[in-house]
Amino acid sequence: MMLKIGDGVNPRPKKINWNLFFFLFPAIALIIVFFFIPVFLTFLMSFTNMSTSTGLTGFKVIGFKNYLQILKSQWTLKILKNTLLYVFTTLSLFNVGTALFLAIFSTHISENAGKFVRTLWLLPRITPSVVYATLWTWFTAEAPYGVLTQFLSPFGVTSKNLLYTYPWIFIILINGFVGASFGMLIFTSAIKNIPPDYIMAAQVDGASTLQIIRKVILPMIRWPILFVTTYQTLSLLTSFEYILLTTDGGPGFYTTEVWALYAYHNALSNYYGNTLFGFGAALSVFLVILGIIFSIIYLKVFNFKALISEPKIEV
Amino acid sequence: MRKSLILTIFSFILLLSLSLNIAQEKIQTITLTAWTIGPDRPSFYRRDNLVDAVKRLNSLLEKEGSNIRVKLEATFDTGTWADYKQKFVLAASAGKAPDIILSGHEDVAPWGEAGYIIPLDDLIKKYKDTTDLKDVIPTLWKSVQYKEKTWAIPQDSEARPLYFRKDLLKKLGWTDKQINDLPKKIQSGEFTIYDMLQVAKTAQDKGIIEKGYGFWHRPRQGNDFYIYYYNFGGEMQDPKTGKLILVKDALKREYQFFADNIFKYRTAPEKFIGMEWRIWHETVVAGKVLFWQGGIWHWAEWQQVYKADPKDLENNVGYALVPSSDKGKPGITLTHPLAYMVTKNSKYPEIAFRLIALATNPVFDARHCVTSMHLPVLSSTRKQSTYLKNKFLRDVEYMLKFTTFIPNSPDFGTYDTIVFKGLSAVANGDVKPEEAVEVVVRDLENALGDRVIIK
Repeated sequence: MMLKIGDGVNPRPKKINWNLFFFLFPAIALIIVFFFIPVFLTFLMSFTNMSTSTGLTGFKVIGFKNYLQILKSQWTLKILKNTLLYVFTTLSLFNVGTALFLAIFSTHISENAGKFVRTLWLLPRITPSVVYATLWTWFTAEAPYGVLTQFLSPFGVTSKNLLYTYPWIFIILINGFVGASFGMLIFTSAIKNIPPDYIMAAQVDGASTLQIIRKVILPMIRWPILFVTTYQTLSLLTSFEYILLTTDGGPGFYTTEVWALYAYHNALSNYYGNTLFGFGAALSVFLVILGIIFSIIYLKVFNFKALISEPKIEV
Repeated sequence: MRKSLILTIFSFILLLSLSLNIAQEKIQTITLTAWTIGPDRPSFYRRDNLVDAVKRLNSLLEKEGSNIRVKLEATFDTGTWADYKQKFVLAASAGKAPDIILSGHEDVAPWGEAGYIIPLDDLIKKYKDTTDLKDVIPTLWKSVQYKEKTWAIPQDSEARPLYFRKDLLKKLGWTDKQINDLPKKIQSGEFTIYDMLQVAKTAQDKGIIEKGYGFWHRPRQGNDFYIYYYNFGGEMQDPKTGKLILVKDALKREYQFFADNIFKYRTAPEKFIGMEWRIWHETVVAGKVLFWQGGIWHWAEWQQVYKADPKDLENNVGYALVPSSDKGKPGITLTHPLAYMVTKNSKYPEIAFRLIALATNPVFDARHCVTSMHLPVLSSTRKQSTYLKNKFLRDVEYMLKFTTFIPNSPDFGTYDTIVFKGLSAVANGDVKPEEAVEVVVRDLENALGDRVIIK
């Protein structure tokens, strides 16, 4: 007879243990207060015309008008495409790609050099957002102000505001340099946790470094890769501060506007003081739905259940 | 007898000390809060005039026998307008707004509608005759009215002129007379906005200025773009219904002008919209640009923040109205009055109002005007010696006769966001002006429905 995990261990009757709720309560309360209630309120708000000029009391319920406005808008598709471009390019090139490269690279060189590389990549993350974004805007400004333009001028590049000339390249670079460090730290600790026996065994078998990375390291850090991918997808989906601080969604018609920024612009920021809370709420509801869809896809694709099940062997 | 005398004295002392005690106890100090903004740094008197009016208010209260004394906590912001307004909207929604807020006149519409600020008509009526409020220039009162109520007290006004480098025009072969006559020719409509682009292009072709430095407008979102919209025949608001208006042909001509400036005449650099304000100011102060359009307050900012040589400005920089679109039509400008408002959160709205009213006096008005280069809100300020000595302000004062305003409408924020995106797309070379107008019209109709009139 084959023994299954859990067989014979702790054969408790399936009864709800109410004591558990006592210990789970703080976490449950936090999730209710900071996630479910805001989402519910946002959902309710999205059916109103609430804005600065209506205040929090003088608004009217307008049904699905906000949603219709979003569906009818000529920019909905473009902003959605921008969002996907932003999330997946930054994610694949930097937040997972560069992070993985840095983790493997910095664990394959001497300990001190590895630490130096990792510290260097942490700098953008510990720099305050506004300072970091301002540095980039100065870096890419017109000559004689912009360092990059001056550097490129001998190569025949005419002086231009580079941030506005190649907005997407810079948006991805600006976000990527910050984003890579998170994955880098997690992957590094995961790689360091791989028992050296496996690597040594592979080396004895004559495996090259590339083969070791492909056949030993990567499969063994699948779980951290899934975690970083999921976590960073969701956080990129809702992050917009570097776009706000650099191109502010421009130039022109929503060139670099992502969904979260679009919601922010409508709900909370307006040059002439009248912000549209209701319409912004409807945009946020879309964002929540988008986040849920991504979470479900990841859970299915990466087979989340198998990853969190108990290991079949002792590592 | 002696006993009764002692008793009388004793009771007198007791009464005196009691009444003194009561009087002391009765003095109640209230703290008012006020938020003000430049964002230009030389406009700090927007805060300091309120701070200095506290003394006047307290002595007035004392004379009146009131037991209230006022303390003021005031701030002066140099960040962006959008952040400042966002901060206020969030504070007001949370019931934590300051007593007094300084903002643009157009905010009376959304904020009045929301109940964040209170109408001041009754208080104005009560205090007009005893303060300098009776002296406020009448058109400025109009700018702070919405739905037949007055929501604010004008704080300053300004004009947005066209600046030009006289030394560069001279290099181009213009005589002193021609240069000095330029403002008049612009005023009469003899020198149009396309004449200006042509002159700028000639200066570039002759190598007097670098390519792309012929005519610079503001590089970021803001009121100035409506000067050009009005200039090309635009209308903004239906006076009867208060609905916003978009004149398609005027918008197309406005967009075409900005496209021509960048792509046809090449008198502004590509990707110009989005330039940092700092770079913009430093470049014009360095004397590299032939024509540029800014605000009169920049005159103070260039000297105080960007360290321009006052003599260079005086001798080499001229100013005029923005030239008209067509020959024979007078030049144009735009005024954006700022105003103090009293919020609904204020526990002492009348005291807050009185503080603003006392800060609105010719001496304070004049010192703000000459320090930050703004135009006064009181007629009598023009008689103040400090003001009279300021040649620049006296020179630009006439522009108010040719001025325009942005509308007071709660929908203006949405309208402006859409219209500015169109301009930015055209200036970025993404779309042709006529395409941009169609896109803008579709967006306006989707966002505002029948609250906007398309002509």
